[in-house]
Amino acid sequence: MFRLVLKQTMAHRGRLLLTFAAITLGVTFVVGTLVLTDTSRAVFDDQFRDASTEVDIVLRDAVAFDAAMGVEVERDPLDPQLTSRTAALPGVGRAIPVVKGTGLLISDGKAIVPAGPSMLTSWTGLDGFTLRDGQAPAGADEVVIDAATATAHDITLGDTVRVQADREVDLRVVGLVGFGDADGLPDTTVALTSLTTAQRLLRLGDGISQIDVIAADGTATSELTEDLRATLGTDVDVAASQDTAAASAAAAKSQLGFITGALLALAGAALVIGAFLIANTFSVLVTHRTRELAVLRAAGATGRQVMASILGEATVLGMAGAAAGTGAGLLAATGLRALLDAAGATVPDGPTVLSARTLLVALAVGVVVTLLAAFGAARRAARISPVMAMREGALGTTGGRGRVRAVFGTVLMALGVAALGVGGAIESMPALGAGTAALVAGLVALAPIVAPAAVHHIGGALSAVTGRGVPTGLAREGARRAPRRTGATVMALALSLALVVFVSVVGASVRGALQSGFDEAITAEIVVESARGEMLGGLEPATRERIQDLDEVGTVSRLRFGHWKDSGVTRALTALDPATIGDVTDVDMVEGRLSDLGDGVIITERQAAERGVGVGDNLAMTFARTDTLEVPIVGLIDDDDAKALSTDYLVSLASYRDWFTERMDATLLVRPASGTSVPEAQKAVEKALTGMPTVEVRDQASAAEARTASLDGILTLITAVLMLTVLIAMLGITNTVALSIIERTRELGLVRAVGMTRRQLRTMIRTESLLIAIAGLLLGTTVGIATSALFVRAIAQGGDLHLQVPTTGLALVAAVALLVGVISGLAPARRAGRLEVLTAIREQ
Amino acid sequence: MTNLLNDTQRAQAAAAPTKSVAVHARGLVKTYGTGPAAVKALDGADLDIHTGTFTAIMGPSGSGKSTLMHALAGLDVLDAGQVLIGDTDLTALGERQRTLLRRDRFGFVFQSFNLLPALTAQENITLPLGLAGRRADPDWLTRLVDTLGLRERLKHRPSELSGGQQQRVAVARALVTRPAIVFADEPTGNLDSKHGQALLRFLRDACDDLGQTIVMVTHDPLAAAHADRVVILTDGRVIEEIDNPTASTIADRMLQLDADPNLDTHACSGPGFGSGSTQEG
Repeated sequence: MFRLVLKQTMAHRGRLLLTFAAITLGVTFVVGTLVLTDTSRAVFDDQFRDASTEVDIVLRDAVAFDAAMGVEVERDPLDPQLTSRTAALPGVGRAIPVVKGTGLLISDGKAIVPAGPSMLTSWTGLDGFTLRDGQAPAGADEVVIDAATATAHDITLGDTVRVQADREVDLRVVGLVGFGDADGLPDTTVALTSLTTAQRLLRLGDGISQIDVIAADGTATSELTEDLRATLGTDVDVAASQDTAAASAAAAKSQLGFITGALLALAGAALVIGAFLIANTFSVLVTHRTRELAVLRAAGATGRQVMASILGEATVLGMAGAAAGTGAGLLAATGLRALLDAAGATVPDGPTVLSARTLLVALAVGVVVTLLAAFGAARRAARISPVMAMREGALGTTGGRGRVRAVFGTVLMALGVAALGVGGAIESMPALGAGTAALVAGLVALAPIVAPAAVHHIGGALSAVTGRGVPTGLAREGARRAPRRTGATVMALALSLALVVFVSVVGASVRGALQSGFDEAITAEIVVESARGEMLGGLEPATRERIQDLDEVGTVSRLRFGHWKDSGVTRALTALDPATIGDVTDVDMVEGRLSDLGDGVIITERQAAERGVGVGDNLAMTFARTDTLEVPIVGLIDDDDAKALSTDYLVSLASYRDWFTERMDATLLVRPASGTSVPEAQKAVEKALTGMPTVEVRDQASAAEARTASLDGILTLITAVLMLTVLIAMLGITNTVALSIIERTRELGLVRAVGMTRRQLRTMIRTESLLIAIAGLLLGTTVGIATSALFVRAIAQGGDLHLQVPTTGLALVAAVALLVGVISGLAPARRAGRLEVLTAIREQ
Repeated sequence: MTNLLNDTQRAQAAAAPTKSVAVHARGLVKTYGTGPAAVKALDGADLDIHTGTFTAIMGPSGSGKSTLMHALAGLDVLDAGQVLIGDTDLTALGERQRTLLRRDRFGFVFQSFNLLPALTAQENITLPLGLAGRRADPDWLTRLVDTLGLRERLKHRPSELSGGQQQRVAVARALVTRPAIVFADEPTGNLDSKHGQALLRFLRDACDDLGQTIVMVTHDPLAAAHADRVVILTDGRVIEEIDNPTASTIADRMLQLDADPNLDTHACSGPGFGSGSTQEG
């Protein structure tokens, strides 16, 4: 039986080629995503595990939570006295003070900006870094850097590099380190200095970041941990170094979660679209082999055996696709990384990780998707009766259950539209999601009815325009004769284009809202931000110090971001300077004033309504270093203007200083001194900030643009990835048209015999694929715009978000669809043109 | 079926010269396959077909009769030999020119799969004209449709027509361009005898009334009996031509061929040979 299945599959390999390609592409996508994220996860694991190999326990300032939104919480420095106190405790072998922070390396006046962190750490010799060359840093002007950075930027022992932290200092490179077997950490620069140098650079005084503890011989780590906790009290966080490493890795990895989720969702879309193609192929294979299968039945095969043989072919095909997809996925991981990189979402690179789970998932995805898609055809094959072997022209068309289908599809669509309408009215995302799902399911069910009709009418319009006559007419009919197949093909393209349209419409709308909100609320003429888009903003405090006293500058008002926990949920807040914020913004307050912020919090009108609180009530806010505080609500701000300030919660900088250790500014809003023109002031600010390469000085307009830069990046990424689904849909059209040629060989022979020229035949086939593409385009655009319009309304929640339909974007989508239609018809048309008239007529 | 022409027209048609040569074929050779598997379907066949005659091509299975018709109709390319259609050397034409020749000057009726299932009867009939970008002559179309009794069925698709109706649609399509020659390949093969006879009578009338040249491949002596002349093929050569045949003369000749497995057609090509093992009837 297995040999028969294998032989059958091989015998049809030509017809299965595109199906195989579709499965392979889908699996490639899944494997690429998994390999990419596994690789990055492994990098994080190594990074944090190796960093504490020889250290048993780490002492740090205690915080309420370790990390929020993938960013590790910054802790207060520890009292330096704690080191000697700890060292004296029983069971402690050594206690080593450590300073950790961020320090940008500048070599030959050029900043080295890695995709990941710029590490600045005091030398301990215990944290996984090993000297490759030179010696450990001892003097006040000495630094050791990682060999990878040194090689990449041509830095050798004895060179001078500048390290920019809270202070900027020139240091001499006295040693080069590796990390384990590697020359450094991925996407990271490493600067190691003596403890005092690190403290000076980071302006910590004699404060330290953490104490690394090594247990005395014969003392168990777990026991010592308990002892230290008991002795040192709750102000100090005592953790086994393995646990802190795991926690740090988890924090870093949580950001990967979003990327993995998004990519897997897109991979899912690609697989669904591929499934249409697979289903079509198997349906045609069964139709074409009706007589052969009937002979099998007549020879004694049971219906179940026939079904098993079809499903067996699907399994073989699925496995082959999975295998090829796994191979291609390893390459795709690199491509995805480059795409993410281009979109501004950097993931660390390391040795490629191909886990057993990835292999299993690839196999499961390939086989299960193929089996599911082939199931309908297999069931139909099982119902073929032995009599059909004898009957002439038994190649029946598949119709049947048309009415059930129509009713079912219409009901589903009606439900979907209703849910969308209700969801849009009450602005409920779940209702919209369910509505979209029902709408799409209904469309898929109706596709065999709707799509051929659409193709027919489009064909009619096309003939009216071009007057091409018989070939166009026959193309119309060709697309109509196998309604289920045409339907599935049109839907595959429609769905992929609907996704592209949806992303581009929602994207354009959100983009427009972000920009106009910023334009209206922010009146500062100059905006200083970090070019790297760190989550909490990446401006060293020195940035403000350099510009606030310039003659050309009038007001500098800064914004900082922080995370807090709202009964377990992580939220962001914006800290601002109540004294100066009025000079650089123009926000609508519903109640209270920004300048009266004091030690309270201002929340958006919407948040107040949702929580049922108002001015005079308290908001329970948990900060990493304070535990839960009851913060009085002193004002309510307009929802849209709050967006210009990035969050729904505003506190004063003074409160921020009390509640957070972080000292990074996110944005400096600058107003020129009176009498100074904006360009003059901007020039002065830029000049003052030379040598701070990660700082970006923008005028108000380009700052508004920059707000959407990361969004643009993500949209571009998603669209690029969605193009893969369009590619699969294109394969689907080629597949459908090619298969219909095989099915219609005798018919084509007949028209050729009675006088259709090769050129006419080719035109006919190409027109057929073009008609399918246009139908897919119209259907996809309609669904895409309709759903995105409702989604935009729901996201807006009465706010300032308006539907914006990007005409260039849509024109591009249309161009792509037409191109797809033209390209996918080329190969089948050529093939049909080569058909010998006689062979075609004789074909059984 | 009524007659296509009234009496006057019939008289004119009969008076027209009918003895010019419509198809002139010499030394046709066609081999399928290569090496030991090679089959010589045509092995030096010669044939003239006169304008306005109804010719039946017969022969045992594998004798090359279908290949001969395909070669005459420009559907197949010959390895050697020459086919003249009127003044046109078919064998010298390229693929596109042969297609246009088929479209404009030939009509075809096949055994099965004669019609496009997606088109209505009317669309099927006018297909060759549509491909040429021409419109049907309405009078001619009306006459064809009425004579063939298809008036009520024009809007139907082939799946809604009986086998006989389908074949009549195919005949209408073959005649709609007023072709020089109609080629019919086992046109009654899938029909019951009543419909088959009706179709053959119609072809006979088309020949008599319109002077339509018809070439038909068949293995059925009853069908061949409608022809003016039967051409018998064996092993890729024309071995005999019977003028004004009857079903029984044809059947006897065919039986003769079948009954003598040692018949050496190369040695006894041409009419008039006989083994004496069968009787003339």
